Parts: sequence; structure tokens; C-alpha cells
Amino acid sequence: MSILANKDTRVVIQGGAAGVNAARRMAEFCYLIKRPLNVEAFVYPPDAGKTNEIPYGSGLIAIPVYKTVAEATKNHPTINTSLVYIGADRAMRGGMEALDDPHIKVVSMITEGVPEKDAKLLGTHARKLGKVFNGPSSIGIISAGACRLGVIGGAFDNLVLSKLYREGSFGVITKSGGLSNEIIWICSQFADGITTAIGIGGDAYPGTDYVSYLEMFENDPQTKAVVIVGEMGGDLEERAAEWYGAKKRRVKLIGVVSGFCQESLPKGMKFGHAGAKEGMKGEGSARSKSDALKKSGAIVPPTFGALGPAIKDTYQELLKSGHVKEIIEPITLPKLPKTIEEAMKADEVMVAPLIRTTISDDRGDEPCYDGYPASELINKGYEIPHVIGLLWDKRLISKQEAEIIKRIMMLSADHGPCVSGAYATILAACAGIGLSQAVAAGLIMIGPRFGGAVTDAGRWFKHAVDNRMTVEDFLAYMKKNVGPVPGIGHRVKSLRNPDKRVKELVGYVKSLHIKTPCLDFALAVEQVTAAKKDNLILNVDGTMAAVLVDLGFPVDSLNGFFILSRTIGLIGHWVDQKRQDSRLIRLFDYLVNYAAPKRREVPPLK
Amino acid sequence: MAKVLEGPGMGLMKKWGIHVPHYAVVTSADELSKLGHVNDWMKQTKLVVKAHEALGSRFKLGLVKVGLDLNGAVAATKDMIGRQVGSITVSQVIVSEMVPHKEEYYCAVKSTREGAEILVANCGGIEVESNWERVKRLCLDVGQTPSPEQLEKLAKDAGFTGSIAKKMADFAGKMFSCFDNEDAQYLEVNPVVTRESDGELIALDAVTLLDGDAKFRHPDWNFQFAAEFGRAYSKDEMEVMAVDGKIKGSVKFIEIPGGDTAMLPAGGGASVYYSDAVVARGGKLANYAEYSGDPPDWAVEVLTEKVCSLPGIKNIIVGGAIANFTDVKKTFGGIINGFRKAKDDGKLKGVKIWVRRGGPREREGLDAMRALRDEGFDIHVFDRNTPLTDIVDKALQK
Repeated sequence: MSILANKDTRVVIQGGAAGVNAARRMAEFCYLIKRPLNVEAFVYPPDAGKTNEIPYGSGLIAIPVYKTVAEATKNHPTINTSLVYIGADRAMRGGMEALDDPHIKVVSMITEGVPEKDAKLLGTHARKLGKVFNGPSSIGIISAGACRLGVIGGAFDNLVLSKLYREGSFGVITKSGGLSNEIIWICSQFADGITTAIGIGGDAYPGTDYVSYLEMFENDPQTKAVVIVGEMGGDLEERAAEWYGAKKRRVKLIGVVSGFCQESLPKGMKFGHAGAKEGMKGEGSARSKSDALKKSGAIVPPTFGALGPAIKDTYQELLKSGHVKEIIEPITLPKLPKTIEEAMKADEVMVAPLIRTTISDDRGDEPCYDGYPASELINKGYEIPHVIGLLWDKRLISKQEAEIIKRIMMLSADHGPCVSGAYATILAACAGIGLSQAVAAGLIMIGPRFGGAVTDAGRWFKHAVDNRMTVEDFLAYMKKNVGPVPGIGHRVKSLRNPDKRVKELVGYVKSLHIKTPCLDFALAVEQVTAAKKDNLILNVDGTMAAVLVDLGFPVDSLNGFFILSRTIGLIGHWVDQKRQDSRLIRLFDYLVNYAAPKRREVPPLK
Repeated sequence: MAKVLEGPGMGLMKKWGIHVPHYAVVTSADELSKLGHVNDWMKQTKLVVKAHEALGSRFKLGLVKVGLDLNGAVAATKDMIGRQVGSITVSQVIVSEMVPHKEEYYCAVKSTREGAEILVANCGGIEVESNWERVKRLCLDVGQTPSPEQLEKLAKDAGFTGSIAKKMADFAGKMFSCFDNEDAQYLEVNPVVTRESDGELIALDAVTLLDGDAKFRHPDWNFQFAAEFGRAYSKDEMEVMAVDGKIKGSVKFIEIPGGDTAMLPAGGGASVYYSDAVVARGGKLANYAEYSGDPPDWAVEVLTEKVCSLPGIKNIIVGGAIANFTDVKKTFGGIINGFRKAKDDGKLKGVKIWVRRGGPREREGLDAMRALRDEGFDIHVFDRNTPLTDIVDKALQK
């Protein structure tokens, strides 16, 4: 058996993230003892109507979130216990709501820093209703092999090590949450483990004190001895001693109290727990408490270190008298499924990766581009073109190449508002569309007829150079298989009205005296085409393409140069329209040739 | 538990209709003389000047002066401001009117498990201490308000008669209102006196302890809480307190001058058992500390730096029970960073470090601590199989 929490306990958790975390821990315990999850519902108004996903074994259980306790118990009438994880300023209201629900018999409050008056009101209200209010500041309650409420018991490994998967003979009541696991562990190592362990919280006035729980343990035949862990302040240990000494009790009582150090410390020193403070006249000191316990017949080890041996002696006596029998441990216990990360770390699984990347990695303290840390590139004077080289072509380009790329980008950053890309972005900006969508609208325009000729031009010039074609062969081949030569031709520029940007770029590249087979071929093609028709000149796309192929960039990356640099312009256009607070625009009728049929009558429907 | 100095304490009583002497809290003699020009009571009554600091036995220290005129009060203020008492510098004094009186009484309200009790006695001052049996009590359950009849019966039981019984009942009722509405844990007026001019009961001296946890519902608590052990908080203590107020979980730090065993344990409960173990072994604590509730590693690092800065320490006890949800590896990461920083600053020379811990990711955390040996730390690491406080025995073995 156990007290307070058992196999029939069904829980609602009031609160947010901390409550979800507790539910996960509770699910681990349920999995260990092969029982279904005992959390039925959450109450957390901000998330009402959603579900919280709680891992159980290797699966996930969706637990609904409600707005009120009443809603939760209406939908889950088996709920009989509430755990409160609500902030200190709203904890009392939450606790009262749970106490007032007819389904709920036990409320355990985990919240710390609850005002004393609120805690007293909650405790009094619970007693009036004949219910249990445990806490505040409770770490939780755990009944071995049956039920875990809260995070008490710690990590899964500790549950196993402390033999919490099956009942022992020792009850535990402690003010300290941190020490609860320590005592449970000691009981499992020096004796046969626990029945139930309860954290009552370290506040000055816990809702339920040692005595109420001692009574329950006294009435639980499975519990043969109880360990209480106390500390100076208040009079709960004295009351426990009074209870124990009042008449012959079935359970053995072992007690330790902390705070002897106060005798040699400045008066009024504040310890970790709210309740750990001595009274005005020395009442509530560690010494008076442990003396009271001794007098009542309880076993009081002189130090915490002596607690283990004391528990061991008690257990041996119980064995001798036949009150307890040696427990045979189960041979196999469920193992908590490992996360993929844990299993990989232990070399237990091999995972086939979903994607493969060869250019960058940000898992360290900073991103690395093709292996080079970004900050180091910056500090050594590298620039954006080098980053492009690393991420698009996986090589560290030279200063000269970087300069060419920089110029290409500067030349194609923007070509005014009338071209498809900019116009689409402006249209979107005026319609009130956000930056990324408006820029995307502009980028969508980049294709075979606008700006997207770079890749195609590069592909065919490269094809010609790789296959050692003559200009005549090339033009014939293109006419037969492809169509107009990409990168040749301009809507407004011509031989008499040359494109200054092309001249600039060609001039600069030529001045470097590097090998430019593609550019040379493209210029040779221009000679022939422009002679046929004035505006069939090598345009910016063609020039960029030829130069970039000469620099060794893969054909598939070429459009990227235009997309990247034109993005600068598109962002500029969007910001420009925003700055002017431009209004929605629509096309003027006179810019449309309405060639649709004239208005006519609709025939009757047949 | 939060102690409130006399000035704000009187302010709260006044708010709930309790008569208090005229008073003013000043930070300089100059300020007092200016106030003297506009406050008639300062010129018409004799004055009391007390240091307005969290100090015990002010009378013995000469920090209470009575029966002064305004000039005398200004001189006394000048004399007290800036006085050093231990680690406290007197920065404020409270100046109040002397209330001529014959009788002294006692009234207090204190928190009990069930609710509160009102204490009344028809003697006051130091007389109460030696006649504690004359103090009569009225116990109230939480949420219950005392009726006028109950209060009157209490006053009569305490030996008050006639009109004064009625006045004392009324006074005690107001004390309870103040206690209940202000989330107090202890309220004491000693002495309560009868003002000769109009026969009103006046609260001459107030001890006020409030529930600091209830601060969220008292926006008008615009005062600082005072340290509770008769000295001011040190700079390091204040810094840790500031961190404590900002984080999930908690970090606590109190210095104890003259000790040689530094404490860096986890858990509000376990930390006290560790302190007990040190004292039981004849060691001298250099501080009290604890961290709990899975605090962020940087907060534990701050705490560690303060602990390593304690003068004259020989051992550091990094103890802890088996944690429920505090991530051992993460919090130990903060401690390790703190240790490294301290060592780089030339601290920790000849200091032995003792570690014992369990809990989530205990193995990784303890391994990381063990690895500090290779960095030249004198560190001794134990796991859950070593009982909780055994590291203290090992550290203090002669």
C-alpha cells in the first residue's frame, strides 16, 4: 500500500511550462512501472483548447489543456488530484479552485514564494472540506511502484537506482525537496526502499504537517518505519514528537533535524527555506526539536551522516522480527528509450542522413564557410565576393577575381523602376505587402526574358568554347537548336548607343591580362550579330556570363549573381515606396486595349 | 520574513489609524533644521533622536538620545550620521516627539499556524520581559476578524478597566487590521502609552516584520527591507541577492567573517546539513550559501566567484544531495567557470575543493569536475555512493 498517491490517482496539472515538464517526468515513472500515464488534463487558460505532447516510452501522448478545473474534471471525471504550478501571485486562486472542485481530494502546490496568509487560507479551507492541501513549495509526492506526483525522484536512472519501481517498507516526510531523493536513495541502499515519500515544502506553515501524514503512515500496514527530515524553525517537529510520544505507535520513527550550526552563527541568519528561522526565544531550534524527538522515543541519529546506518539497523530489526521480508528484485525493468542523440553518442544506432551539405557548418561557436570561420575571414580582410566564392564554388578566390565580382554586382544592383522586377516590387509595396514578399515578387520576374539570361548565355558560350566552335558554326547551331542567342541583343541599346556598363566591365577584365576565352568568343559573336542588326550587341547578361565562366564559376550559379545583386535594388525600391507612404496603384484604363466582346445579354439557362 | 525599519513601520501603523508620535526620517542635520522651520511640533515638544538602521542595542551604542530641543536634536543628528558600527554606517536618523506619559502597556500581533494571535499586557517597556505571564492572548483563525466584544474581553483579562479597556481593545483591533491587511508576520508596540494631553493611546516604538513574499500585492511598500542580523549586507551579498531576484531557481550567499571552510552546496535543506556537519567537526564556517531550483549556470558562476573570494579559506565544500531536476552538468559548468576565473586571478592557492553530488546528468557533471585535477586544482570528487556529508569529514580530518 501507500498513502496519498496510489494506482488510482488521476491528475490535473494547473500551470504552464513547469507543469508540462513535471508531466514528462511523471510519464517516465508510469513507463517504468508499466502503467498508463496518470495525467489526464492541464489547466492553463492561455493554452486552452490546445494539447500538450507528453513522451511516453517511444511514443507521444496528447493531453488536453482546459481553461478551468471544472472543465477538466467534467471531461475527465476520474481526476482526483491537482498539482499546482501557478505563479505565487495567482497560486491561491488556483489552489482554491481545485479544492472547491468536488472531484478533487488532494491538492499539492509546487509554487514557491506563496505568501504565508495565502498558504494558511488554503490549508484551513482544505481541512474544512476534509481534503488534503500539500505544500506550498512541495517537490512532490511519490509512492513506489504506484504513483509519482511532480518531479520528486529525479531522473529515470535515479528511479531505478532508488528501486522506486516497487514498494519497500519506509515512509519519508521531508521539508526539503533536494533531500527527498537523498533519503529515498538511502532507504533503498540501507533498507528495502520506500512506500511513499512526501515533500511538505520548506515554508513556515505547510498546508499539511508531519502529524497528519504520520497518522496516515500509521494506518498503512505496508509502512513499517517513517523517516522525517526536519530543520529549525516553527514547531512541526515538536508536534510530530508529541504525536509519537502520546501512545504506543506501530511505526518506528527516525528523525533528523538540521540547524545546529545556528548555535555558532550570527543570530537571525536566514537559511534557504522560508520556514527555517528560529523563534524569538530560542524555540524551534534544532536542539530543542531533536531533544523532543528523542524524548518521544524516536531514533535520532547525531548527524545526517549517521542516518544511513540508523535506517539499516531499523531494517535489520524489522527483518529479524519478521515484520518485513527480503525483496527479490525483478530481473528485467523497462529501459527508457534513448533519444536519437543519446543513442548515437553511445554508438548504438546509425542514422541515414536526410540531407547532405558540403558548404557550411554552424554547429560550433560561429559559422564556417567551406571550413573557414567567418570572423577569421573578416579579420584577414576578405570580402563579400570571397564569401560568394566559398559558398557558390567552394574555393577561395583571388583578390583580382573578387574585384571583378564586386564590379559585376555593383553594375547590376539596380536598373530603375520600369523593368519587370523593380516594377513588380513597387506594385507590391504600394499594395502594402511586406518586404520579403515584395522582394520575392520582383525576383519571380527573373527568368528567360528578364535578367535570367546569364546562366543560359554562360551555358552556350561555354558550350561553343569547350567544343572549339567557330562563330559561324555556333550561330548556325543556335538557330537550329535553341533560338536567339542568350546574352546577345538589347531593347534600347545598340552599336550607336553602346551600353556603358558592358564597355566598363570588358575594359577592366581585359586590362588584367588574364585568359578570357569565353569573353573573347562572346565579343567575336557580337561582331557578327551586330553587323546584321544594330541592336544585337553583347548585353550585360552575356558579358557577366562570359566573364564568370572564365573565372571558373559553375554555369548553374551564374543567375545567382544577378539575383543577389538585383535584390539590393529591389529592397531599395520597397523601402523607397514605404518612405513615401505610397498609395495603392491600379493600371489606368488608357493603358489597356480592351479587346473583349462588347456587352451582351445573357441567354436563359438551359 | 522581512524586517522593516521604524520609520516605514510607523507609516504603516498610521495608515491603519494607529496614533503614532510625530516623526521624521532625515539624512542630515541640515535637513532637520530646515524641517524645524516648518514643523511646529519640533519646536513645541522635546525630541528623541535614534539611528535609523538595522542595529541591535542602539541605546548601549549611544545611538538613542532623548529629551532634546530642536538644537540638541540637530547636534545629535550631526553626531550620529556617518558613525561606523561594525559594517554599518549610520546614514539616517529618525527624529520623533517625546510623548510625556505615566503608564506603559504592551500590544503585539504575531503569526501562528492557525492564523494569528493578539497579545496584550497592562505593563510595558522592559517590565513585560520579566512579567511574561501577565501577557494575555486572543487566538484567531486565518480569515477571522476579532469582534469588539472579544477585544474588550482580552483587554479586561489583561487587567485593563473602565475607559482605558475600551481604548486598548480599539488599539488592539487597529493593530490586527494593520497586521492582516499588510501581510505582516509580527507586529509589536512596546510601549503603548497614554498621551497626557488628550488621553489617546500612542504607539511609541514599533517592531515590524512583513511577509516579503507578499510584496506583489503591496505596490505602496516603497521601502527597503532591512538585514536581519544586526549588520548591513556586504557588496558581494548584495550582488548575489540581485542575481537571485532575476533568475528561475535561487542563489544565496551570506558571509561569516573569520571562518576557514567555504560552503558552496546545493539545496536549501542540504546546505544546512552541510553547515551542521562543518560545525559538528569543529570547523569554522566562512559563509552560508546554497543554489537550487535549476538556476542558470551564469548565476552559479557568480556565486562561485564570491565563495572563492572569501579570505583565509582552506576548503570549499561543493556538496549536494541527489537532485530532482537541477541539471548537475549545467550547474557544475557554472562552478567550474567560477573556479577557473578565481585561479586565473591568483585565488584558491592551497585551497582544497570537495565535491559530492547526484542528480540529472550527474556522471557528466562529476567527470567535468574530476578533469579539473589536470588543470592543477586540488579537487576531490565523490558520487552518490559517498554519504552526503562525508566530504566534510574528509575535508576536516586533522
